[in-house]
Amino acid sequence: MMKYIAYGGLLSLLFLIPFITQQEYVIHILCLIGINVIFACSLNAILNIGELNLAQSAFMGIGAYASTVMVMRLHLSFWIAMPLAMLVTSIVSLLIGFLTLRFKGAYFLLFTFLFAELMRVLLSNFGVGLFGGIPGLTNIPKPSIHIGNLVNVDFSSKVAFYYLVVGLVVFTIIVLRRVDKSRIGMIFTAIRQSDVLVESIGISTMKFKVLGCAIGCLFAGLSGSLYAHFVGIITPGDFAIHSVFAPIAYVVVGGIGNVFGPVIGATVLMVLSNFFLRQFGFFELLLYGIIIVLIIRFMPEGIISAPRLLFSRMRKP
Amino acid sequence: MDATLLAQGALNGIMLGISYALVALGLSLIFGIMRIVNFAHGEMFMLGGYITYYLFGVYGVNYFATLVIAVLIIGLLGMILEKAIFRPLTNRPEAALTSLIAAVGLAWVFQMLAMIFFGEQDKDIPTVFKGIIRFGGMMITWERFAAILIGIGLVLLLNLFLLKTKFGKAIRAVAEDKEAAALQGIQVARISSLSFGIGTGLAAAAGAIIAPIFIVSPSMGGEVILKAFLVVILGGMGSIPGAMLGGLVLGFLESYGGLFFSVPVMSVMTFTLIILILIVRPQGLLGRE
Repeated sequence: MMKYIAYGGLLSLLFLIPFITQQEYVIHILCLIGINVIFACSLNAILNIGELNLAQSAFMGIGAYASTVMVMRLHLSFWIAMPLAMLVTSIVSLLIGFLTLRFKGAYFLLFTFLFAELMRVLLSNFGVGLFGGIPGLTNIPKPSIHIGNLVNVDFSSKVAFYYLVVGLVVFTIIVLRRVDKSRIGMIFTAIRQSDVLVESIGISTMKFKVLGCAIGCLFAGLSGSLYAHFVGIITPGDFAIHSVFAPIAYVVVGGIGNVFGPVIGATVLMVLSNFFLRQFGFFELLLYGIIIVLIIRFMPEGIISAPRLLFSRMRKP
Repeated sequence: MDATLLAQGALNGIMLGISYALVALGLSLIFGIMRIVNFAHGEMFMLGGYITYYLFGVYGVNYFATLVIAVLIIGLLGMILEKAIFRPLTNRPEAALTSLIAAVGLAWVFQMLAMIFFGEQDKDIPTVFKGIIRFGGMMITWERFAAILIGIGLVLLLNLFLLKTKFGKAIRAVAEDKEAAALQGIQVARISSLSFGIGTGLAAAAGAIIAPIFIVSPSMGGEVILKAFLVVILGGMGSIPGAMLGGLVLGFLESYGGLFFSVPVMSVMTFTLIILILIVRPQGLLGRE
């Protein structure tokens, strides 16, 4: 019961924010935080099966490019392009997963590293007419809803986009939490803890890893599609290997494997960075790296485990 | 396409291959002992380059002294990182994943530190060995020839160390079977510290050798780690002859590929080749199951 009151309170707070602050900048940052939360959730979904995917930004890029190309070149509606982009991303990840998830840990990481580089090279040099080459695609239209004369919402307004992002963040969390609580989710956790053991009781880890990867990448595609239509410009560089480091920090800080971990991590770090640290340049990025190393070394379950750690320490004499 | 150009390509390929092999050897050594993929390994290469820039380029210290100092400093840094960060992680559950994340974080930290303290601009190191060797119709600068010689020397030295000395034998024993080695009275903790130091030292040496030929920049580590990974995939994780072979294959591919194809085409071809090798021989060309 308490839990639902807390969720309700949090949701009403999120709903009320645009009424509290009129500053466009704040709403803009909040939208970006929401998009990053969805992305961090997708990264976490892959970490949940025990693999670090350095190509997760590349998958976000696939979602962004797929959605943009469908809207700008095929003139589909955003509302059709977005789910299709999610599907495209997931299907690509399925293929990549089949090829690479046979290789554990190091090899998977190397492969995803290469894949991220390959995507950047492909998008920069091939199909320039379609993907726009190195300068990328610009003037990506904002979504809108028109149903007769009744509903007329134009998402070029930041506040409208904010509500769209909040809705999709909630959707992402609900879906991933349902997965996490299901039998499949339990198998994912078991694979992360010991894939040999899971294999020994007759469960094909390969099948579940590919499934976990595909589910995670659905939301990488979603975050990419949202990002493209929110910012309005996408370039191959936006999704290059270095853009996955900050999201890794979000997940690690929040807590790997916990559905709410990346939500908390992304929110805390992005609020810190956008409202307090912006002027520090490289020092801000340095801080991200230091935070990743320190958290993984001293608090591997992230700040979400802090209250529990504190309590267990207090109980000891 | 005449023979001179082909021979020239071969020399360049050997030089690139040896430097990639040096970085990959360190990576492979650390993996063999600790089962850790040190993603920050490229940054050790980068720091080796910067030490050479400052000691040799700016303060005019003797080049060979610089090389030794770079290896010692970065070797020590590696041992500190091993003790402070990696060893505690390997004793915990989910060690592979957490140590991977820690290494990625460290790579990020060193790259940003280099940006802050050394500046974003590329730095040029003055030529160490001046002059050109003519041989038949082809030419090679002394600088590149010396890089090949020093690289080969270091690989031979490492091989000798691993095969003949007590520490080298202990390293191989730990790589083979940690428990059995410990039962023989080998101190596993000391050996992992030592191999981490040797591994990072090798990367620094590669940096010190390559930096005067090309340029030094904070992002050079990220580029070289990609190459080292490719070498390790090609040659097989944990195999020294594999790393040498992989390095040479990649060096030749780049050197000749550069003559015939554009950079994007090369990237796509390399990637396809790696996928094929991984599918046919997941343990690498010379790696064991």
